[in-house]
Amino acid sequence: MFNCKQYQSQSFKHIAYSSLAGLLIIMTLSACDQKQSTDHIDYNPTAPIEKGGTMIDALSGEPSGLIAMIAGESSASAIASNIFNSLLKYDKNLELTGELAQNWEISPDQRTITFHLKPNLKWADGEPLTSNDVMFTWQTVTNDNTRTPYGADYKLVIKAETPDKNTFRVTYAQPYAPALDSWSGLHILPKHLLQNQDINTSSFARNPVGSHYYKLDQWKSGESISLSRNENATQGQANIDRLVSRIIPDRAAQFLELMADNIDSMSLNSIQYARIFPARPDLNEKFSLYKELGNSYTYLGFNLKHKPFDDIRVRKAINYAIDKQEIIDGVLLGLGLPVASPYKPGTRWSNPKLKPYAYNPQKAIELLKAAGFEDHDGDGILDKDGKPLAFEILTNQNKEREMSAVLIQRRLKEIGIDVKIRVVEWATFISRFIKTGDFNVVLLGWGLGVEPDQYNIWHSSQQAPGQFNFIGYQNKKVDYLLEKGRLELNPDKRMKIYHDFAEILLEDSPIVYLYAGYGLPTMHKRIKGIDNPAPPAGIGHNSYEWYIPKPYRRNEMSAN
Amino acid sequence: MLSYLLKRLFWMVPLLVGISLISFLIMHLAPGDITSTEAGFNPKTSEESRQKLREMYNLDKPVVVQYGLWLKRISKLDFGHSFASHQKPVFWEEKDKDGNISKGMIQEALPITLLINVLSLILIIAIALPLGVISALTQNKLPDRAITIFVFIGFAIPGFWLALMLMYWTGVSHHWLPISGLHSLGSDKLPWVSQVIDTLHHLTLPILISGLTGLAGISLFVRNGMLDVLHQDYITTARAKGLPENTVVYKHALRNALLPLITIFGLSIPGLIGGSVIAESIFAIPGMGKLFYDAVLMRDFPVIMGILTIGSALTLLGNLLADLAYAWADPRVRKGVSS
Repeated sequence: MFNCKQYQSQSFKHIAYSSLAGLLIIMTLSACDQKQSTDHIDYNPTAPIEKGGTMIDALSGEPSGLIAMIAGESSASAIASNIFNSLLKYDKNLELTGELAQNWEISPDQRTITFHLKPNLKWADGEPLTSNDVMFTWQTVTNDNTRTPYGADYKLVIKAETPDKNTFRVTYAQPYAPALDSWSGLHILPKHLLQNQDINTSSFARNPVGSHYYKLDQWKSGESISLSRNENATQGQANIDRLVSRIIPDRAAQFLELMADNIDSMSLNSIQYARIFPARPDLNEKFSLYKELGNSYTYLGFNLKHKPFDDIRVRKAINYAIDKQEIIDGVLLGLGLPVASPYKPGTRWSNPKLKPYAYNPQKAIELLKAAGFEDHDGDGILDKDGKPLAFEILTNQNKEREMSAVLIQRRLKEIGIDVKIRVVEWATFISRFIKTGDFNVVLLGWGLGVEPDQYNIWHSSQQAPGQFNFIGYQNKKVDYLLEKGRLELNPDKRMKIYHDFAEILLEDSPIVYLYAGYGLPTMHKRIKGIDNPAPPAGIGHNSYEWYIPKPYRRNEMSAN
Repeated sequence: MLSYLLKRLFWMVPLLVGISLISFLIMHLAPGDITSTEAGFNPKTSEESRQKLREMYNLDKPVVVQYGLWLKRISKLDFGHSFASHQKPVFWEEKDKDGNISKGMIQEALPITLLINVLSLILIIAIALPLGVISALTQNKLPDRAITIFVFIGFAIPGFWLALMLMYWTGVSHHWLPISGLHSLGSDKLPWVSQVIDTLHHLTLPILISGLTGLAGISLFVRNGMLDVLHQDYITTARAKGLPENTVVYKHALRNALLPLITIFGLSIPGLIGGSVIAESIFAIPGMGKLFYDAVLMRDFPVIMGILTIGSALTLLGNLLADLAYAWADPRVRKGVSS
């Protein structure tokens, strides 16, 4: 009895001890309470353009290096495109225009392109930027020892010359229309810093010197990358002094940082855009929402080498049976567009006459009947020659794609097609299923090209393992048009070719176009000068003109 | 004793080779390699250039040959270079001919993970020890029940959810703590004391959360160990001879109850270098968990093998240390060894 009491008094001591520990934790917590300086500034009024300030955004992944031809990830090109120039670029309407090049000429036989560089270009370190640098970059990207997967376009050049220090001339064996696009995607590298280096291992990748608006200021591994204004920029001076990209892998954490006003911009998902923002007036006071056309579309692709997808009636039936608007409303909360060609709606390559297949289950059933599929055994699943119409939709781990697959599964079930869904990890997806052609139907995405050439995706010669026509599409007319489109450098004539191509593709229905989602960037209202609504190229096209008026700038140190 | 130690160390070598072989084979069982993950689905890339990359990385050779090449390098303690991260050295920094230093990937990630794990282990012990003792002393009474429920809630609660809630509460609603990252922007201009405080602020939530989720294991171990010991005859003897209860509990019972913990700490040494992918992603901490996870997704073989090798070496070492610590702490074990 006595012992027992002692136990108890003992335990009270312990409780007191541990609650003291808890109290200590709470005290340290509140000790960190820093006074917030956001005493309701109204960010709405515009102010005159001022230079200076810092803009902070978030990156989901860390670039492996800043030489884009070797790094390859999107985060690398996001940062590198603020540091490096290409010869050409796309303007706000996605038309090609000069960047380092003042202008360019195409020879009458369309095989030679001559680029004239702008005069007096300089690298950030003050060295002159000349055609020798362009030549060096071309030699690097085509060198067999360079570990880049992007060399193919540039290897088509049979002769490259530099007649003088401001002229760069390339000659192709035959006219190659995508050439211009390829020169808009090649960041020109400084010869004087790289010529005796191994491009694959050079520390230049983490300490680059470029020629664009910004130069690298500081790279904290795994944490942040800071850029500062390049005084020698070839394209004029940007208004904002510093760009800081913080590496925050988790989207939810990014959103919290945004809410706490620690970052100025991020790209939202549809729930944040369509559900959270409308419900939070405090967020709308501080942030502007933008909607820009995305760079890719999602599709359902058939393996045309497998039965029954070799039958155009089956493909069309499935196309009619899928309600695209339902997927856009359900998966993207309405923040997407139906597409009918593999080009951005509203750009010159997109054929305005084409309309997506309307949702029409009745027509689907008729088409399937014509193809021989009927429910003979009364189990609710259509069949032909005793075989039920059943297949597996294969997709990778991507929430939007998984949800789309579920909606498609339900709609196809309604007309009597039994669909299973299989979700696999990306590397497995590519090597185990796509490369081997071991799939029936895939749910995937392709880019909405600004360059219309899609030879690699649709030409019948591109079906070998590892090539991109893995659905096995073959159409002589399409082959002809794709070949012709590559040889034609005149934009108006090319447009006609690709309008015809997209029309045949839609009619053939080798894939079902599902949707093109919007990109949903949000920007803090302290950043002024952003185009709204976004032009086809997105809001980023004039980021050098953006500015942050002084009263709106964050106190440099409070930005944690 | 010394010969025992040498024998154990010697046997670790074939064990490590075996582990690395199995890891290597399993890694190659997963479909895909770096060429299918890095720009593998961009129509601007070509199969020829991917094949070229495969040859450069020796990925076109049979797995056994690749393993041989790896073993040859590792025998010189050369962990190689990452495929995916611009040829960064996997383990330790290297200097190129111009004197530029490129830091090793593990070298950068390891100290961060180690710091977080050591701090949270200390936190766990500091809380779990008293909790376990209280539980045992008040067995089946209210404090015991309350503590058990509390540690189980901590164990069962989804860490990522709690993390996000706490981030929202302490970071967005109240601005008490930073939300993510390791340093404030521009903190490198501060004096070092402020820098340390700044980093500790950033680490508060990650440590708190990994501490809370790890509380259950240790505190229940202590509780059960204590209960076992408290029912032993020598405790009754100690009480019978009239020792003060404090002495009985702390000097006689607790010290013996702590013995099994040595094993747990030995086993947690390899755990110290492994980070949690989810926590590191949410808190934007560039640690070992994220490094390994990304390497697996990218099929970055040298990094995967580097981390696995170091991890298994540390596991074996941890086991050895635990055995030695046992021998040191428990005369029964020590005698058993020498006889």
